[in-house]
Amino acid sequence: MWIYDKKLEFPVKIRKPDPRMAKVIITQYGGPDGELAASLRYLSQRFSMITPEAKATLNDIGTSVPKLRTFSRLYKTAGRFAPERRA
Amino acid sequence: MTNRDELLRKLTALDFYLIDLQLYLNTHPRDAEALNIYNSVVKEAKALREEYERMFGMLTANNPSKLPWQWIDEPWPWQYSFNFDLAGENG
Repeated sequence: MWIYDKKLEFPVKIRKPDPRMAKVIITQYGGPDGELAASLRYLSQRFSMITPEAKATLNDIGTSVPKLRTFSRLYKTAGRFAPERRA
Repeated sequence: MTNRDELLRKLTALDFYLIDLQLYLNTHPRDAEALNIYNSVVKEAKALREEYERMFGMLTANNPSKLPWQWIDEPWPWQYSFNFDLAGENG
């Protein structure tokens, strides 16, 4: 169903960890109105669509895992975890 | 910016462009101008991706690999050293 692309949809390079920002990001990622829940809703809704336009659109935004990966990457460095040592 | 960063920056930009065009074309399937752009960007992105993979290893696992198996090579996209800095461009 998905092929992992070993790069992000949008680059994330965080210079200063910010735990408060990370809290907002994790809510947008996995919270009740987060991207993760929205993705799954789109994937279910596509089954009841009538027009080809709507089917394709819901399929494509439901599978926008790159967006989720960018979020998780953002959280990882913005978060309370220390970023890995810069090689 | 290293050569790898530069290539990755260009490829990321093209792929992002393609996602946007794809979503637009889903709801405007008869827009000839958008379709032309899409088709030419697909070609450009494909060439760039092949160049990147030749120099810096595979981006998707459905690719031939040298020995040893290259897919496990670091860095992964969630590691600091993987990504390039955009801030440099905007000061």
